[in-house]
Amino acid sequence: MKIIVCIKQVPDTETRIKLIAGSNRIDTKDVKFIINPYDEFALEEGLRVKEKLGGDVTVITVGSSDVEQSVRECFARGVENGIRIWGDGFENIEPLGTAKVLAKVISNMPYDLIICGKHAIDDDSAQVGILLADFLKIPHVPVVIKAEIYEKEAKLQRQIEGGIEVVGVTLPALFTAQKGLNEPRYPSLKGKMAAKKKSIQFIDGNTLGVDIKPRMHIIDMNLPKARVAGTILKDVEPAEAAVKLVKFLREEANII
Amino acid sequence: MFPENIILVILTLIAVLFFLNSVYRLYKFLLLGKKEERFDNIPERIKSVILYVFGQLRVLKEVAGIGHFIIFWGFIVLSIGTAESFLNGFYYKISFEFLGPVYTLLLSLQDIFGVLVLAAIAVSLVRRFILKPERLKIDDPGAKMDALIVLGLITILIFAMFIDRGIMMNLHKDSSLAINATYIPVSNFAAGILAGVSSETLHKVFWWAHNLVILIFLIYIPHSKHLHLLGSIPNIFFRSFRPKVELSKLDLEDESRETFGITKIEEFTWKQLLDLYACTECGRCQVNCPAYLTKKPLSPWHLIHDLKEHLKKKAPLLLKKNSKEENQENEPKILTKKLVGEVITDDVIWSCTTCMGCQNACPVFIEHIHKIIDMRRTLVLDDSSMSQEVQRCFTNMENNSNPWGIGFSARADWAKDLEVKIMGEDSSVDYLLWVGCAGSFDDRNKKVATALVKILKAANISFAILGTEEKCCGETARRMGNEYLAQMLIQENVEILKGYNVKKIIALCPHCMNSFKKDYPQFGGNYEVIHHSVFIQELLKSGKIKLQIPLNSTMTYHDSCYLGRHNDIYNPPREILKSVEGIKLIEMDRWGEKSFCCGAGGGRMWMEEHLGTRINETRTEDALKTGAEKICTACPYCLTMFEDGLKAKQKELKVMDVAEVIEQSLESF
Ligand code: SF4
Ligand code: SF4
Repeated sequence: MKIIVCIKQVPDTETRIKLIAGSNRIDTKDVKFIINPYDEFALEEGLRVKEKLGGDVTVITVGSSDVEQSVRECFARGVENGIRIWGDGFENIEPLGTAKVLAKVISNMPYDLIICGKHAIDDDSAQVGILLADFLKIPHVPVVIKAEIYEKEAKLQRQIEGGIEVVGVTLPALFTAQKGLNEPRYPSLKGKMAAKKKSIQFIDGNTLGVDIKPRMHIIDMNLPKARVAGTILKDVEPAEAAVKLVKFLREEANII
Repeated sequence: MFPENIILVILTLIAVLFFLNSVYRLYKFLLLGKKEERFDNIPERIKSVILYVFGQLRVLKEVAGIGHFIIFWGFIVLSIGTAESFLNGFYYKISFEFLGPVYTLLLSLQDIFGVLVLAAIAVSLVRRFILKPERLKIDDPGAKMDALIVLGLITILIFAMFIDRGIMMNLHKDSSLAINATYIPVSNFAAGILAGVSSETLHKVFWWAHNLVILIFLIYIPHSKHLHLLGSIPNIFFRSFRPKVELSKLDLEDESRETFGITKIEEFTWKQLLDLYACTECGRCQVNCPAYLTKKPLSPWHLIHDLKEHLKKKAPLLLKKNSKEENQENEPKILTKKLVGEVITDDVIWSCTTCMGCQNACPVFIEHIHKIIDMRRTLVLDDSSMSQEVQRCFTNMENNSNPWGIGFSARADWAKDLEVKIMGEDSSVDYLLWVGCAGSFDDRNKKVATALVKILKAANISFAILGTEEKCCGETARRMGNEYLAQMLIQENVEILKGYNVKKIIALCPHCMNSFKKDYPQFGGNYEVIHHSVFIQELLKSGKIKLQIPLNSTMTYHDSCYLGRHNDIYNPPREILKSVEGIKLIEMDRWGEKSFCCGAGGGRMWMEEHLGTRINETRTEDALKTGAEKICTACPYCLTMFEDGLKAKQKELKVMDVAEVIEQSLESF
């Protein structure tokens, strides 16, 4: 079985994001980057399918050379091949562009199964998986929490509002991973050492002939307001406290 | 008929050959292990043997040890008599009589020790089979049988000796025994009872009984728990003189390695295997083990016992296999049995808090913790087999350099309003204050860090922190078996400290301190490290800080394992508490080197406690029993464990770090 997992490198959830003053960009200095957590579920599922059915797993990412550390992390966990795509103008790539680039590269490769994370935690677009499936003209099943993969088909459970939907698809197909699908593994030391020596295939994105021109432009980007410590109304009569509370909610918190 | 002496010589030769053969085999088993250097420091080693073998110092730490002391010395004294009896049996003219008064003394001592040993055995039997204290509990029926056989043989031996002596005194009124009758009251008493029945035949019967028991003993020892007679002396001789529980450094660059932890018994070093022979099955480790006492599957004694049984089963087959090219197909099962997972289960390995209760109590200096960590290493590094919490903890340390996983850039937030120097801005200071992850990220422990800063400022100490450049010290990762992550963190820290030319470190956490003392030198990081409690004590002594406010309160102080047993710091925290006017210290039942772990060491802080009862609650009960108004600690982990323990017990008691107490007494507003 040929399995492809698409990953994205994102800032660690705990990183304190700073913006470059006067721009709509985040300052990547002092930012710890990790593999997008949902992509980790995708990766783990890919590895498990391989371990069950045989074959290999290829990881593909669109990213600058900084992203190689994440690809190596995938190697350490047991991935066979890694491909990185990048080129001039890719800094401003949008989900649509990413999906096109991926589709272009993947369409020249053999594959039975493509797995993506349900969305990336940095920009929350949740588009690449679905667009990619569309471009490749294969079935797409989003937000999967349980996967049973066989040689020619798959039975996938997906989370829907208030319940679970079980979907059957024939392969090749693409699905996106939701939390709960599995528990990602921690790489062994042998895996880590082997990963250092593997080579990552680089594809120059500019040679693909794909239009990645941005379709939108960001007008403004702001950090959320810093959280302030809560106010506790102490030593006041209940009636008085209620009055104060209403006043606070109306005038300061602007909630009522 | 064959002359008796020839029969004795032949039987003795056979027994000795059996014995030597067993010893040689045991020696060959040891050689299966890996290399380890333990031949340094010979004079100290000899001293250890004198103190701990002949002086039985560790055995005597508890009252029950007196029994062993008696049996041990009885054994030596009686052996002299036994030797004489054998030599005399070989050739009738040999006797130790020429020693004159010394001989009389020997006879007399043998008499006295004979009775004492019988008494000690009686007590021992009662304890082992009737009272059954926690210490002596083991599931293996073989181990119980073994104890019974050995104690039984010694009893027969001594009875045979007394009876034979009595008969001899009756039969040969001119024998040295009869002449010395007044000095050997017990034998004399036996002579009285046996007056009517003494005969040459009866003498022969008991003489043979005595000697045969000795020979049986000789053959039996290497196969029994009394293997410790052979194993303990070399084990004490080869004991570690390195810093306490210093872990081995793994060569992670070695690409020829298939595995990094211990996956097979023969991957332990010869000294680690010798430990197994030395175990006296006394159970002292067990009754000092927080994991065992809270009903977890780990008992340090059983661990050693199980490893020993496995070695004894596997090693002969290994030797056979090494000597000839066996056909690989039908390998005996034991050769493929997994050490980690099958012989010793994962739960056993993860239950350990590395508190050192076991090693501190063990009379023969067995090192349990290294074995446990070595096996953890295989779970983590080779098999990646660990719980989700452990994995999360590792990932947090990797991504944010702290086990909580809070963004690393928040590391110095606690000190924002304290006007603390940051090394990156000004490194011309005397001390680096190493805050540690708890002091930096845990809300409760941030207060301790703050209190310490106030004390240092009051004393006008020139110090700085690393701020966001500080990373987890790696202590926890290393003790959780993640040598790779630990080495990464340690090396990064060593580099940073080198950059600021750091020489002296004040550590807020005993775990960090222990790591700086014992882990960092292996990576080129050599510092003078001082725990904050010791530093505060010095400030008080030198008058750099003066306590002004009396605090009327009763307190109980809990010894952190890594401050106490691991680093012998018991007094400074107590001293500084006592220097505050109005504080009355009440000790818990288990304190000092007997202190009971809070449950957080060895990475247990980051693991769920699914098995047995909770260690921290047990310890909290200890503290509550004292009736003290406050609980005092000097370790952030202990602080957290007590807070949780008190919450679980729904008690409103306050837990404080010693630094906080001092800071309260310091401030005058
Ligand atoms: S170190 Fe502590 S927890 Fe671990 S085996 Fe020894 S006594 Fe038990
Ligand atoms: S390991 Fe040490 S303390 Fe534990 S049973 Fe054996 S000899 Fe006793």
